[in-house]
Amino acid sequence: MGPVMVGPSSSHTAGTARLGRVAREILDEDPVEVHFFLHPPLAATYRGHGSDFALVGGSIGLNVDDPRIPEAIRIAEQMEVTIEFAEEDQGDVHPNTVRIEIRGKTRQAEIMGSSIGGGVIEVFKINGFQTRFKGDSPTLLLFYRDRPGMISEVTRILADEAINIASLYCSRKQRGKDAFMEIDVDSPIAKSALERINAIPDMAEARYLDRIP
Amino acid sequence: MIESFKHLEEVGAGRDLADVFLEVDEQEHGIPGDQILAALRKRREVMRDCVARGQNGGLSMGKLVGNEAKKLNEAFAAGKTFLDPLTVKAELYALAVMGENSRMGVIVAAPTAGAGGVVPGMLLALEEERHVDPEKTVRALVVAGGIGSIVALSANISGAAGGCQNEVGVATAMGAAAVAYMMGGTTHESIHAAALALKNTLGLVCDPVGGLVEVPCVKRNALFAVHGLTAAQLALAGVESVIPMDEVVEAMVRIGRALPRGLKETAEGGLATTPTGCAIGSRLKDEANQRRAERAAERERVAQERKSAH
Repeated sequence: MGPVMVGPSSSHTAGTARLGRVAREILDEDPVEVHFFLHPPLAATYRGHGSDFALVGGSIGLNVDDPRIPEAIRIAEQMEVTIEFAEEDQGDVHPNTVRIEIRGKTRQAEIMGSSIGGGVIEVFKINGFQTRFKGDSPTLLLFYRDRPGMISEVTRILADEAINIASLYCSRKQRGKDAFMEIDVDSPIAKSALERINAIPDMAEARYLDRIP
Repeated sequence: MIESFKHLEEVGAGRDLADVFLEVDEQEHGIPGDQILAALRKRREVMRDCVARGQNGGLSMGKLVGNEAKKLNEAFAAGKTFLDPLTVKAELYALAVMGENSRMGVIVAAPTAGAGGVVPGMLLALEEERHVDPEKTVRALVVAGGIGSIVALSANISGAAGGCQNEVGVATAMGAAAVAYMMGGTTHESIHAAALALKNTLGLVCDPVGGLVEVPCVKRNALFAVHGLTAAQLALAGVESVIPMDEVVEAMVRIGRALPRGLKETAEGGLATTPTGCAIGSRLKDEANQRRAERAAERERVAQERKSAH
């Protein structure tokens, strides 16, 4: 069964709220400015289906079943968050695809993802890196400098903590430069383990995201 | 993981279908069966709340629908309906859920929000009218979800991906299998109930007027709730789908691909582009523009006030 959610459309409200929420979780601070770039079919339908409320709601941290979702744009205005919507062709992707640029006081993030129905999402770009994030399990998002041995150092720590890896995905912008790893795991990761991963040489940032509700 | 309906038929033969899905979830995701049942008990409660609230009526966001459940309920209460109570209630409850959905109320996506009236309409009406143990309804929701998840292995469950067949069609198949289960049917009968239900929705387009989940979505959910009951009835009598469920799903995916973009939720074809649909569409656009202008003016006013306060 699908999620308990605020209507009227699981693709347009539940899925999009979760996409907004992913952007907010990766930003990891209160947003100041959020820009939504909607793929044309979504741009054609998003207002009628409440995707505007939902995207904004997610990006300010509301859950899909939060009854405040219909008020999200007003709440964002009260929080003095600047919100912009624009149409942007994202190429050969699912109709309900959006690119989100989110900025806080000290940090910024960018994601691109699709809401594929029933509240299910597929995020395929995070901060310019290819990925395949779904938000349905605890996940590590690692930003680091590409070098030999990084995967084994990270997975060694997870093995020490008896954490099972469900899937692992790496991508990089350039050999020896900025790289990214997404690790979906079966159980929550303790703070101490995350600290150890953050302490690995060349690790720019290790972020841990719980399941996106 | 259950990879196909053929596979389900093999592993589920002679077994309680809900148990089969619960076991798979436990193995796959490490979620104990009692935890899933507890989550679905909550879903059933949300569905019931929704059905109760929805009968009070109230206009939808686009003001096109919202009072269908109220009207049907009044006719039913006054003894002015001619169908049997099970059928009337299936329609009534589906309308109630969709009314809530159209007002941005809290609902259960089953499997989507736009098709969220079909499953509760069928299951809650059956539970009341045939005195089914509520716990059996909870287990029937496991069955409905399990059927939906097998379909989702090969199809995107959204009107944008394949038209309404991918939403209401799939919901009707899930509900039909669940109803067959509630009435004591076998795994084989549940799968055939799903296949019969889905087969008869193939080609159903998604052409929402003004792009809202209101017309034709709300009433369509009610009509297909009844359709799902009839599919379950046929399957329980031993009627089988000549085309196996896996192949019906494949056909659905192919038809979805072949449908033009204008009939996949974009509001650029079908009912949305009839003279009445277009007129409603432009009215909604004007109203939205006006609201945006008002909001912008309000923001401007607040900014000015802040400036002069400094």
